[in-house]
Amino acid sequence: MSMNMNLIKHGTEGILQLQGYIDASNAAEVEKIFVDVAGKFDTLILDMEKLEYVSSAGLRAFKRLYMEMRQKHGTLMAKNVGKMVMEVLEVTGFTRLFKFI
Amino acid sequence: MKSLLVPANIDRLEEVTGFVNELLGDVDMKTEFQIRLAVEEVFVNIASYAYAPGTGDAEISCALLSDPKRFLIRFSDSGIPFDPTKLADADLSEEAIMERVGGLGIFLVKKNMDQVTYTYEGGRNVLTLVKRL
Repeated sequence: MSMNMNLIKHGTEGILQLQGYIDASNAAEVEKIFVDVAGKFDTLILDMEKLEYVSSAGLRAFKRLYMEMRQKHGTLMAKNVGKMVMEVLEVTGFTRLFKFI
Repeated sequence: MKSLLVPANIDRLEEVTGFVNELLGDVDMKTEFQIRLAVEEVFVNIASYAYAPGTGDAEISCALLSDPKRFLIRFSDSGIPFDPTKLADADLSEEAIMERVGGLGIFLVKKNMDQVTYTYEGGRNVLTLVKRL
């Protein structure tokens, strides 16, 4: 399925807008972009308003992003998380990876 | 019951979810999401582990059941015997989340389906998921 990302830069803060589906077919690619973006900001906000779907493959990409941000003592935030994506984060305990704003 | 036979390969995921979704028909968004998620997790598991390091096929069958209205999805493969229903529920502590490699997918399947049953029949793993509609 398709996935689009859009990055908005405000100095050391980045907002990464996620759009579409993160599943096993694109998670590796998504993870690569996450790592790249994590290297550029102290604070990264994932805007999940248009993220329609995430599976365990996507959760692993989130985990990698979290670890990258943690390693550099950065902050990972999330906003506008849709109901179903939030349920996946909650049921797996992955809500603890993000500061929700 | 309608069936689809595909190589157990992650690049066939969209074909599998498309097949299931078409037979599922019109349901609410939440149910569609949960079924898609369960189907992906089971198929990806088969694609990743059933035949490793070799390759093989997976068969996916679906049926709408009535009284009460339910959707049944059955996966079968002839890979190594593996009963995912025997896996312990995922540990959700922070340390476990950081260290875990697998197991999350099957946990999500159990959480989102009403019934998950496994049998080993005639040299095949058969995993049946049922979701109330």
